[in-house]
Amino acid sequence: MKAGLEVHQQLRTGKLFCRCPCEFSETVTGTFVRRLIAAGGEDRSIDPAARFQASRDLLFRYEVTPSSCLVEADEEPPRPLDPEALETALIVSRMLGARVVDEIEVMRKIVVDGSNTSGFQRTALIAVDGALEVDGRRIPIDSISLEEDAARKTAEAPGEVTYRLDRLGIPLLEIATAPQITSGREARAVAEEIGALLRATDRVRRGIGSIREDLNVSAEGGRRIEIKGVQELRWIEQYVETEVERQQLLLGIRDTLRSRGATAPSGAAAVLTDLFESVMEGPLAPRGGRARLVFGMALPGFGGLLKSPPGSSERLGRELADHARAFGLAGILHSDELPGYGIDRDRVTQVRSRLKLAPDDAFVLLADTSEARARAVAQSIAQRAAQAIEGIPGETRDPLPEGRTRYSRPIPGRHRMYPETDIPPIPIDVADLARADALRPERPSELRGRLAREYGLPNDLVRQLVAAGEASRFELLAKRGHTATLVARLLTQDVPSIEGDPASTTVEVTTDALDAVLRASERGTFAKEGIPAVLRELALGARDVATAAERAGLSGLSDDEFEGIVREVVERNRALVHERGTEAFQPLMGDVMKVVRGRRDGQEVAQRLRRAIERARSEPSA
Amino acid sequence: MTGSRGEDPWEQLRSLPKGQDIEVTDAEGRRWVGTVIPHHEFSGDRILQIKLESGYNVGLRIGPGVSYRLRSPSRSTPPPPEPPSTDRPAAPERESVTLLTTGGTIASRVDYETGGVRPVKTESELLEFYPDLDADGPVHALPVLDRLSENIVPEDWAVLAEAVRGSFAAGSRGVVIAHGTDTLGFTAAALAYLLPRLPGPVALVGAQRSPDRPSSDGRSNLQAAVRLARSRELGEVVVVMHAGLSDDRFAIHRGTRVRKMHSTRRDAFRSPTDGPLGYVDANTVHWVRPPRAPHHGPPTVDGPLDPSGALLWFYPGLSPTRAEAFVQGHRGIVLAGTGLGHIAESHLDWIRRAVDRGTVVAMTTQCLAGAVDPYVYATGRDLVRAGVTYLGDLLPETAYVKLLWALGHEHAAEGVRKRLLTPTADDLSERRRPEEFE
Repeated sequence: MKAGLEVHQQLRTGKLFCRCPCEFSETVTGTFVRRLIAAGGEDRSIDPAARFQASRDLLFRYEVTPSSCLVEADEEPPRPLDPEALETALIVSRMLGARVVDEIEVMRKIVVDGSNTSGFQRTALIAVDGALEVDGRRIPIDSISLEEDAARKTAEAPGEVTYRLDRLGIPLLEIATAPQITSGREARAVAEEIGALLRATDRVRRGIGSIREDLNVSAEGGRRIEIKGVQELRWIEQYVETEVERQQLLLGIRDTLRSRGATAPSGAAAVLTDLFESVMEGPLAPRGGRARLVFGMALPGFGGLLKSPPGSSERLGRELADHARAFGLAGILHSDELPGYGIDRDRVTQVRSRLKLAPDDAFVLLADTSEARARAVAQSIAQRAAQAIEGIPGETRDPLPEGRTRYSRPIPGRHRMYPETDIPPIPIDVADLARADALRPERPSELRGRLAREYGLPNDLVRQLVAAGEASRFELLAKRGHTATLVARLLTQDVPSIEGDPASTTVEVTTDALDAVLRASERGTFAKEGIPAVLRELALGARDVATAAERAGLSGLSDDEFEGIVREVVERNRALVHERGTEAFQPLMGDVMKVVRGRRDGQEVAQRLRRAIERARSEPSA
Repeated sequence: MTGSRGEDPWEQLRSLPKGQDIEVTDAEGRRWVGTVIPHHEFSGDRILQIKLESGYNVGLRIGPGVSYRLRSPSRSTPPPPEPPSTDRPAAPERESVTLLTTGGTIASRVDYETGGVRPVKTESELLEFYPDLDADGPVHALPVLDRLSENIVPEDWAVLAEAVRGSFAAGSRGVVIAHGTDTLGFTAAALAYLLPRLPGPVALVGAQRSPDRPSSDGRSNLQAAVRLARSRELGEVVVVMHAGLSDDRFAIHRGTRVRKMHSTRRDAFRSPTDGPLGYVDANTVHWVRPPRAPHHGPPTVDGPLDPSGALLWFYPGLSPTRAEAFVQGHRGIVLAGTGLGHIAESHLDWIRRAVDRGTVVAMTTQCLAGAVDPYVYATGRDLVRAGVTYLGDLLPETAYVKLLWALGHEHAAEGVRKRLLTPTADDLSERRRPEEFE
C-alpha cells in the first residue's frame, strides 16, 4: 500500500483575506441564507465534485459573528493576503527545504457544499519539492500551500445546512507529502513530525480542530482514496488500515462480478409502494407523516456481494447506502439483508418477481417523498454499482469515529481551480526568503537534541514537549529557575488537560500564570502536587494565585495547623502506633495526605509524621 | 524546440501561445510541468505563468540558466464545450419575457487574458449561465448594448427605450434589462421618463457578484426580475435586486427613486427617501404601495433627451470660478447641495449670471433622503431669489436625468423648470412617512 498525507494547520495570524481576528465565537449577530450553483472554470467545464454537490440543491444558512465581516459574507472582495500568514508559509517552506515559487497566484477552488460563502476556497501554492526526515527515512514533501479555512457546520436539517462564519478565512497551511508512506504507523509518525515542525514556529493555533489531516490511501492494486478531515492523530493508523481492507474487499467483489459476467445496472427504478404500505420501521418507513413512494431497482449479478464477508466490517451495501445518504435519504435496504426490517420472505419473493430477478441478482429498495429525487438516488446507486465492476471508484470519504469512513463526494479534478482575479499576483524575491530564513526556528530534530542535552530531560519528555509545541515556553520558564522536569511535565500533561477541559473550552494557561504558580509553590504556599489545581482555577478566571489556591482548597494551612493535623492523626491511632511501631507509618501517611494533599509536599509530610510517631512511641500509653 | 542552459529564454517563452504544454527547468534544476497561461496584467517582469497539473497557477522568474522543453504541439485553449442548445419549441409570443442585455457584471465572465471580468457577448453564453431562466415560460434574450455600465451614455438610454418599445410591440408580456449596477439607477430613471405608458413591467436587474462564481447573485436576481416581468399588476420601470444579504427576498424599487448605495453588497440598491415599492420572494410578489397599473395600448417613447445638462456636487472649498467654468456651455445644471439644498454664498454671483443667461439651475440634496426646502435658512432664500429651482425630494441623479429629458422637450428655461417640478413617473412626493427612512 501507499499513503500520502495532507496536514492542514490553522495559523494564529490574522485571517487570510480580511482583517478579522482568528477567534471562534458563540455570539451570533445575524443570519442570512444562500444557494450556490456550480459554475464553469477557465475552460467552462464543471468539475464532477462541484456538479455533484450542486445537484443536491441545498439551502445554506450562515451565522454572522463578531469574528466575521463582509468578506466572509461574500459581500466584499478579499483584502490583500495577510503578510504574517505569508511569512509563516515562507518560514515553513524554508524549514522543509522546499522551492518557493517566484510569484504566488491565489486560486479559487470550487467547493459548493456551502462551507465557503463564495462557493470556492481561496488557495495558493507557496512552494514545492521539500523533504522531512522521520525516523531515519526521508519523506518527500510535494507541496506547501496557503488556503482559507471553511465555515464550520453548526446544524443540519433536510435540505438545509447551517454554517458559522467565525472559522471561515482562518489561514490554513497545507503540507502535502508524496504518496510514499508505507504503513499506518508511519503515516502517524509523519503527521506528528509535521505537527511538531509547525508548532516550532510558534505561529499556529492550538486545540481541537486546529490541525486536520487528509489521508490519501491506495492499497496494492487499488486506487487513490481521499479521507478528508481527520482531527485526531491516534486514529490515523486505523483509518489507513480500514481503507486498505475496504479496497481489498472491493477488489474481491470486482473479480466475482467479472467472473459472473455482470454488466452495469440500468438504474431504472420500479414503483413498489403497494408492497410496503404496512412497513413502519427501517429506511422505508414514512418520515414526518408524509406520503412516500417506495422504489425497487435490480442489480444483476450482485447477489450475495452486498453484505460483509466473514471477518470484515466493510460491505458494498453500505457504499451504496452512502450514496443515498448523500442525497439526504435515511438509507436503503438491499436483498442481502432481507428478510428483516419488518419485511418478510413473501414480500422479498414478490419484489424479486416484480423486478424479474435471476437467482444471482440483487436488488435495493429506497423510499422518498419526491419521485424525482428517488430516481436521482437510484441513478447514483446504479452508477456506484457499475463502478464496482470496474473496481474502486476514486472518491473523497469522510472520517467517522472508530476509524471507519463514509462516501462524501467524487474526487475533485483540476477543473475546479481558476484564478482569484480580485488578488493580484504576489512576487516573492530574495529579500523575502532571507527574512524567512532569519526567522526560521530550529527543526524539531535539532531542538530535541539540544533540550535533552542542555536540560537533562528524558527523551520521551523531550519528544512530547516538542510535539506539543511547548519548547519555547519550557525554555523561558526553565531559564527563570524553575525545575526543568516539573515545567516539562506541566506543559505536556497538565496544561493540555486544563485547556482541553470541556468546562473551559476557551481558557488558556498563560506563561505568566505558570511562572506565578511555580513561584508560589517554590515559596511553599502549596505543594507542587497542587500546581495543576491552582493553574486550572487561574485559567477559569481566578483573580490571582492566592484566590486560585483558595478556590482549589489549597490555602490557609499554617504550620501550626499542619502540625495539629499530624498530631491528631497519630493521637487517633495511638493503639496502632504502639502495636506496630514504625510500621504504622504507611496507613497513617495515607490519613494525613487525605487532608493536606496539594497543600504540603509529600516528603515534608513524611518527615513530620515520622517524628510524631517516634514521639508517640516514647510516650507511655494510656 | 528546447532552450539550452546559459541562454536567456525569456523572449522565446513570452511569445508562446497560451495553452502550450511545457516543461521548465529552473536555475536550481527543478522541473515544472504545466500549461502556459496568459500573463496577468499585474504580474511581475520576466514572470512566466503556468498552470500545473494540480490546477494551481504559479509564476516562474525567467532568466539565464532557465531552460524549457515544449511537451506537445502547441495548441490553443480547447474550444469551450457547446453551450446547451437554445433552440426551444416555439412558444406563444404573448407569454414571453424579453431579456435585453447591456453588459455589466450580470452578463460578465472572468477574463483570463486580463484577470478581470469581461462582458458575455452572446445570448447563448448568457443562457448558459442562467439555464433555468425559462422555467415559467419562454425568455427571449436580445443583446442591445455590450458595455460595463460606467461606459453607458445618455444616447444609450434612448436606444434601450426603443428596444423596450419594440419588445412590447412584438407582444412581450414584460421586459427585463440586465445591466451593470454602477449606473443602473440612472438608466432606470431615464427609462421611466422615456416610457410613460407601459403595457407591462420593465424590470432592470444586475449582479454584484459575477456569474462565474457559484455564489453569484445574478441568477436569483434575474429569476426574481423575470418573475416580476410576468406580473400583470404593473406597467412601470422598476429595479429588482436583493433586499438583504439572503438569496430569498428581492426588493422592487421605482426607477425614479432608486440608487446604488453600497459598492459591494448584494443589497446595494435602496430607495433612500421612501423605501421599496414591493418585494419578490420565492413564489409571490407583494406590494408596499400600489404600483402603477399597466397602460392599455402600445407604448411610445417620449424622447428625446438633450445631453446639455450637468450635475455638480457641492463641497466646502468648491471654487466659484471653477463651478462657473464647468457650467458654461450647459443649458441646465443640477446642484447636489448640502442639507436642505444649500451652497456657499460665494456662488450666488455666478448662479445669478447663469440664470440671467437662461441656464436652468436646480437644487437637490446630497443627503439623498428627504426633500430640499429653501425657506428655512437665509441661504436658501437667497438662492431662490437668484433663480434656483428647488426639486423637492428628487434624487440628484434622477434630477439630472429628468433635466436632460426636460431639455429635450422644452426650448425655454421656464418650460424646463416647469417640467422639472411636475411630478412624473412617481418621482416626487409631497408626503414622507416615518417608516420610509430606515
